[in-house]
Amino acid sequence: MDEKIKLSHGDGGSDTQRLIKNVFYKYFNDSIPNAMPDSFVFEVGQGKHAYTTDSFVVKPLFFRGGNIGKLAVCGTINDLVTAGAIPLFLSVGFVIEEGFSTEKLHIIAKSMRDVCKQTGAKIVTGDTKVVERGSADGIFINTSGIGLVSELYNSRRAVPGDEIIITGGIAEHGTSILIDRYELGIKTELESDCTPMCCLVNGLGENLKHVKQMKDPTRGGLATALNEIALEQGVDVELNEQSVPVKSEVHGISDILGIDPLYLACEGRMLIVVEKGCGEKVLHHIKALDYCDEAQIIGRFTSGHLGIVYMKTFIGGKSIIPMLEGQMLPRIC
Amino acid sequence: MNDNRIVERLNRCFEYVQSQDIRIMEVCGTHTRVISKSGIRYLIPKEVMLLSGPGCPVCVTPETYIDMALEILNLEDVILVTFGDMIKVKGTCFSLSDKQAQGSKVTVVYSPEDALTIAAKNKDKLIIFLAVGFETTAPLIAVTVKLSNERGLDNLVFLTALKRMEPAIRFILQDERSKVNAMICPGHVASIKGADHFRFITEEFGIPAVVCGFESQDIAAGICVMLEQLTGKGHIEFVNLYKRCVSFSGNTIAQCMINEVFAIADGAWRGIGIIRNSALVLNDKYEHLDAVKRFGIKIERYSSPVNCLCSEILLGLKLPYQCSLFGSVCTPEHPSGPCMVSSEGACAAHFRYGGDRKNG
Repeated sequence: MDEKIKLSHGDGGSDTQRLIKNVFYKYFNDSIPNAMPDSFVFEVGQGKHAYTTDSFVVKPLFFRGGNIGKLAVCGTINDLVTAGAIPLFLSVGFVIEEGFSTEKLHIIAKSMRDVCKQTGAKIVTGDTKVVERGSADGIFINTSGIGLVSELYNSRRAVPGDEIIITGGIAEHGTSILIDRYELGIKTELESDCTPMCCLVNGLGENLKHVKQMKDPTRGGLATALNEIALEQGVDVELNEQSVPVKSEVHGISDILGIDPLYLACEGRMLIVVEKGCGEKVLHHIKALDYCDEAQIIGRFTSGHLGIVYMKTFIGGKSIIPMLEGQMLPRIC
Repeated sequence: MNDNRIVERLNRCFEYVQSQDIRIMEVCGTHTRVISKSGIRYLIPKEVMLLSGPGCPVCVTPETYIDMALEILNLEDVILVTFGDMIKVKGTCFSLSDKQAQGSKVTVVYSPEDALTIAAKNKDKLIIFLAVGFETTAPLIAVTVKLSNERGLDNLVFLTALKRMEPAIRFILQDERSKVNAMICPGHVASIKGADHFRFITEEFGIPAVVCGFESQDIAAGICVMLEQLTGKGHIEFVNLYKRCVSFSGNTIAQCMINEVFAIADGAWRGIGIIRNSALVLNDKYEHLDAVKRFGIKIERYSSPVNCLCSEILLGLKLPYQCSLFGSVCTPEHPSGPCMVSSEGACAAHFRYGGDRKNG
């Protein structure tokens, strides 16, 4: 029978110990073999390190192509990748609603373990809290991570002429979530793109030197990420609508809902700013990496200094692509 | 026709336009959004103005309607079910999302039929569905009303603000101030009502009208056809360029559903006022499912607020940037007027995607 999480599982007593042992240790024991440390101890060593944290409150918890656990590990790993870092250690904090299914907890923990195995990252410390029914929506997860920054990566300001690459089709995570959230009943093979992107640091070799910046277009999607880059740099961005990879299912479903795919989240894609003139060369190497075969050069920085993102449209027009304002809601018809 | 050929044809039209002012109006929110997003205004000369009429159902829903919904939310054990973009619309003072933040139960659905499931699962609660939209949405709501009645779901009621497009178009074209020279007909409504439903625009008002689809090249093609007619390169006629989805007689099954469930009444349009015969309300057979009748809500006479230019914008008399609130006080995050609320509103589309100010 599927045992339900009780408040006592968060009390720190025997139920808590059992939960940690039966669920979390079962999957994370590669990292924490025989002890339950309150703190994990490690040597910092040489080089620069990146450190990040993120909290995950996705609804639904299980979606096509992943679940909140996979998302929580990929999200933090990808944040480390944006700093040119290879992930080393992760922490994980669970806030679980009373009554949550332990079966589901097993699935979540297992998928976290699978991503760690794939990337070499280790979950080395964690925490579990249980809150009363109604005080959380199933489960919330916080992860933080420490990574070692590649010596080849040198983050620097974008200048006019620099090129922008996206590593794959956009909006696939956001669209998958919408299909499940609104129970659209659409039959599609579309899945969330939720993936760890460590290959960009590991696999680009010397080409990483040509990369000036990386950003993962999660909440607010490609449009919001580009706006953030443009504003931070104070340089305008020209996006080429024809080059942006969008699967036809994504187009169709977002059209039905009246939501622009440019604003839908990716969870396994990276926006990469490349030195002027190096776009094609870097793109060639990126396309050879896992999950990156649909990578494209989608735009470039232009001479304007207002930090505006605009798009050359299919039909030859121009339109401004602003930052996402407020909540994105499906329209009426 | 590919994009390059369309642009070439559009450019040729501009040679004929010369200094003649041409005002083309669309009355469908999706057209509004695609025109702004595709940057079509960037491609056309300043003499050709693309105006956005009252084509966004959320935008034209009056404040008093939102106030009624908010009043119902004050009752115990109520779940309000709505399309997503309604929750940001302000009534006289507050929006549904304000009320949601205070703990009221507001559920966003994509399909009206979801209200049936919610009602069946929550028998101890009263479910109110906000039935908003044009003739495109009306058939789906009609099916929901019918099924609800058949299944005896007496805990599901409908607060209706459904609109008919044809009286609104007539209202605009009869207003001498609007000076609309050509009309892009609403493709979605036409798919239900049929292209012939809009033939009156050309026959009664003598101006070009096209039914066109929703890709940027569909709209550009529609503009080409009308510019050619207006500049003497073709005779003025009604054209259906959206034959892949719109037949001349429309979807007769959907029309029957509308006729079976709704009756025609005068309707209040936000920013415009009362337009005769422009609303669809539940007919005698289904009036027991009408939230207004169920709760005995008193409907106040509609009076339009005066603090923004939405009214003139919806009638094609003003452009969004000509409103002093546009982009400063009134933004998609904090909309003052109805046109800024939905992504399909004229002001929101202008705000989001920009556009040449001279061209509107």
